Amino acid sequence: MGRLRRSRVHKAQRDVHRAARTRARTRDLDQIQLHDMDPKHRAKLEAQPLDYEKTGLAQHYCVECARYFETDGALHGHWKTKLHKRRLKTLQSPAYTIEEAERAAGLGRDTRRATASSLPIQPSIGALTTELSQMVTDS
Amino acid sequence: MRIEKCYFCSTNVYPGHGSAFVRNDAKVFRFCTSKCHKNFKMKRNPRKVRWTKAFRKAAGKEMTIDTTFEFEKRRNVPVRYDRELVKTTIKAIKRVTEIRSRREHAFWKNRMAASREKLKAHRAKKQAARIASVKLVQPETVAETPKVAEKIKVPVRRKSALVPGEGQSMGMELD
Repeated sequence: MGRLRRSRVHKAQRDVHRAARTRARTRDLDQIQLHDMDPKHRAKLEAQPLDYEKTGLAQHYCVECARYFETDGALHGHWKTKLHKRRLKTLQSPAYTIEEAERAAGLGRDTRRATASSLPIQPSIGALTTELSQMVTDS
Repeated sequence: MRIEKCYFCSTNVYPGHGSAFVRNDAKVFRFCTSKCHKNFKMKRNPRKVRWTKAFRKAAGKEMTIDTTFEFEKRRNVPVRYDRELVKTTIKAIKRVTEIRSRREHAFWKNRMAASREKLKAHRAKKQAARIASVKLVQPETVAETPKVAEKIKVPVRRKSALVPGEGQSMGMELD
């Protein structure tokens, strides 16, 4: 090991493994963006009932950062921090989801639901063959 | 049997391979390798990690809109087994893959043509900057002066007139 004084004396030492434990997980970006930031859910999250297990009895919650605070002053102070502003910036772009991963792999979603009539015949084969023949002709 | 896609890099995850993480809202995140799982734990955005499929698609490095992508789908309607259907499907898969690879090659060629122009322009600019920065200066001629060996006078030291006693010389030099 080389010289560590410069890199490890200050508080830059983050315990990554502890922070990545499953029990330490909070809301993910896509959950916050698609669910929590919705005005209806947001109002509910900002006015939670008293919870003795949570920090500050769950009365001071930052929706964007998914974080509870002790007092209202602490919450207002948090809104001015770099951490919060950085989070706001990341939330501006659409969050990455499982659907995007599948789309990148070329896997679409068939939203058709099973019905009694669609089961015995194959609905996809007709569409498949016509599309295929069309493709062969245009390429 | 279902071939899943990796959440991070979008490659195929075959049954019995990789790992999965189920979030507390019942969403299943599949990972092809521990590498992808670790990157997920680090909360990295696959769109910003260069080796993922999501990055390549988002950055315009690969074809995104094409009719050949319309075939592979997560279908939740079960299809009853039919030998003829399997036969045509397998035939179709081969044909579609062939067409897609040809289109992908065309897309790549098109992309490279554009980038080659860009590279050429960049190189020309760099070369011009280099030429401008180099200044050639004629070396100055310095007139050489002939070396003259100067003579320095060293004063001759006189001996003192004191007579040494007891056989030992205690000669003192005087300036």
